[in-house]
Amino acid sequence: MQRMKQTALDIYAWFERRLQLEGPVKEAVLHQVPRQTASWWYVFGSAAFTLLFLQIFTGILLALVYVPSAGHAWQSLNVLNHQIPLGWFLRALHGWGSNFMVAIVLIHMAQVFLFGAYKFPRELTWILGVFLLLMTLGMAFTGQVLRFDQDAYWGLGIGASIMSRVPWIGSGLVHLLLGGPIIAGATLSRFFALHVFVIPGTLLLFVFLHVWMVLKLGVNDWPMPGRVVRRATYMEEYHHLAHTDGIPFVPGAFWKDLVFSGAILAAVAVCAMVFGPFGPGGQPDPSIIQTVPKPDFFFLWIYTILSYLPPQMETPFLLIVPLLAIAILLALPLVAAEGEKSWYRRPVAVLVVSTVAVCFGVLTHLGTTTPWSPHMSAWSGDPLPVNRIHDATPLARQGAVVFQAKQCRNCHSVGGSGGERGPALDAVATRLTIDQMRFKVVTGGGNMPAYGKNLSPSEIEALVRFLETLHPANEPPAYDASRRTVEASQAADSAGEASSLRANEGSTP
Amino acid sequence: MRPLAQMLLACVVALITGCEHSPGDPPGPIPRPAEVTDFSTLYSENCAACHGANGENGPAIDLANPEYQALVDDATLRKWISGGMPGTEMPAFAQSAGGMLTERQVNALIAGMRQQWWRPNAFAGATPPPYAQPQDGNAHDGEQTYQARCFACHARSRQQITSPDYLALVGNQALRSIIIAGRPDIGQPDWSHLGPGGKTATPLSAQDIDTIVAYLASLRNSAQAANNSPERPAAATPTGR
Repeated sequence: MQRMKQTALDIYAWFERRLQLEGPVKEAVLHQVPRQTASWWYVFGSAAFTLLFLQIFTGILLALVYVPSAGHAWQSLNVLNHQIPLGWFLRALHGWGSNFMVAIVLIHMAQVFLFGAYKFPRELTWILGVFLLLMTLGMAFTGQVLRFDQDAYWGLGIGASIMSRVPWIGSGLVHLLLGGPIIAGATLSRFFALHVFVIPGTLLLFVFLHVWMVLKLGVNDWPMPGRVVRRATYMEEYHHLAHTDGIPFVPGAFWKDLVFSGAILAAVAVCAMVFGPFGPGGQPDPSIIQTVPKPDFFFLWIYTILSYLPPQMETPFLLIVPLLAIAILLALPLVAAEGEKSWYRRPVAVLVVSTVAVCFGVLTHLGTTTPWSPHMSAWSGDPLPVNRIHDATPLARQGAVVFQAKQCRNCHSVGGSGGERGPALDAVATRLTIDQMRFKVVTGGGNMPAYGKNLSPSEIEALVRFLETLHPANEPPAYDASRRTVEASQAADSAGEASSLRANEGSTP
Repeated sequence: MRPLAQMLLACVVALITGCEHSPGDPPGPIPRPAEVTDFSTLYSENCAACHGANGENGPAIDLANPEYQALVDDATLRKWISGGMPGTEMPAFAQSAGGMLTERQVNALIAGMRQQWWRPNAFAGATPPPYAQPQDGNAHDGEQTYQARCFACHARSRQQITSPDYLALVGNQALRSIIIAGRPDIGQPDWSHLGPGGKTATPLSAQDIDTIVAYLASLRNSAQAANNSPERPAAATPTGR
């Protein structure tokens, strides 16, 4: 036993004499950090680092099976999902790892911003971090393309369309992105190279520099109101703090990083097991028109903004806003290198982070429900609530058929299903009289097209008789008070006319 | 420490062996839309909105009615699904007629309906009138039959079917199908159970049905003729605002 131990030590010494890593590693591991930085708030960077290695590991395993060719990629993903034991779990780990990584990187960035950690002397750490965020998003987008299904295909189409709007060099950029004028085999090879070599290579280099600077410059001290950063004095103050009230980085602060990274890995595994892999969706074939392509969740907010922007604003928004946002992020540490770090003294910073978070949440939610988009299969696939059919007259029931067959349902929901492009019609009869509904159907208005020329008079009549039934049981339909008066006076004038007016009795409660 | 290690090992083993049955295990690859031949998928995407989620309680005729299934043969069903039904809102679904379904999918729909809703001896031994509506029914006789056999129920304002607008949206063949097979989901009796509570035992004869449909068609036609006359303003014009 003693001899084995001695042999191991000899081998170690042989390597150490040549590599000479012991000194630098010990220095990095045992360097003093301020006691308060051993906080659960400081674990996101290391979690992102851990997730990066999960992505590399699972990515290499996926690359053993994945075929980066337009003709076979979709098939090879299905082979992974259905034929290779636990292949689906591997894909799920990689997909959920990607989602977690984007989320953790964003949280890390928000935390660094709120803690003022980008200030002197950590400006370059922040700037590299901005590039790391962009590369993480780049990995997410290229990864979504490699999952070569309908979403990927149309996502590429939109990416190319955005590129084409760049003045003068637009068509050249599209050619560069797609590897030709159309989405084809070269496109996928190009994105495979980006996803597997170019971006990860750069990412690893930047991560190395990023972590190197964290070790060299020390973990950001806990922000205290009144402890102001000044270039002239900061380094001295920091070292004083780290040595008078400090602990060694390992294990003092490191154990929380380990625990959190482990928890994140476990969360990825649980999500992968319970929710499974992402896609692949339908075959990436532009001749299949029954598709509602959508980006992955971290790009849904852009999808929403582009859907709501007026057309003339699209190009300026697409070409200016991202550049402006990146420029602001890069300039931030240079402009605000000194001053207060504490969020108690930086209300604008807190407001910015909260606003961005709320906007991101709202836009993402809208992106998942897409209320601006008609549900193109609602007319044939969404049944009407049964009581609407049972209680209806034969004419109103026929109106319900018109309502479905003429695809009103694609934009108007009833009973919670159908499109949300127009208002829900569950209580339309309480808002509009039957004459107003007839007028609206015939002439359109607002965003609604006019259907007067597309529906026969009988179809319109049946339709409004159906719409007239759409009101809550305890709330009568709207009626035109003047019409009642007219009817009453006409009835008084002539008993004979009254009988013919009875045909209109449906318009009054 | 040893129990903890054992528990961890058990977790790993459970994870690996249980994965193939875990909720995340994805169902089979997504087929091309034209290759879907599963009846419930096809039905719920193409038919459920008008004919009801389970073939009943929709605004259009209830396909789950075994009498309807027994009345209509495959060729006729195929004709209506593929090319649409004249005189009604039923659109054409076959690719050959501008729809989205392949011939195989139309056949899958028919086979699925038969399997789900066709029942042997749906008419309980009775012989139903023929399905097809002849062209030459006597409207005058039909009016009398209608008054005698249908009016008692259809005089009620909630069951009015003589409105020209209603008749303009329901073709003769569709009227005939409802008269013969009824609509059990909304309480409309079939041809042999007319009368209050659906209990009268004198069924309508084939000729009765021919003439009733002819009578209803005559109401529709005379209203359309009046509509098309130049004196009358187009009915699409809103009557009030």
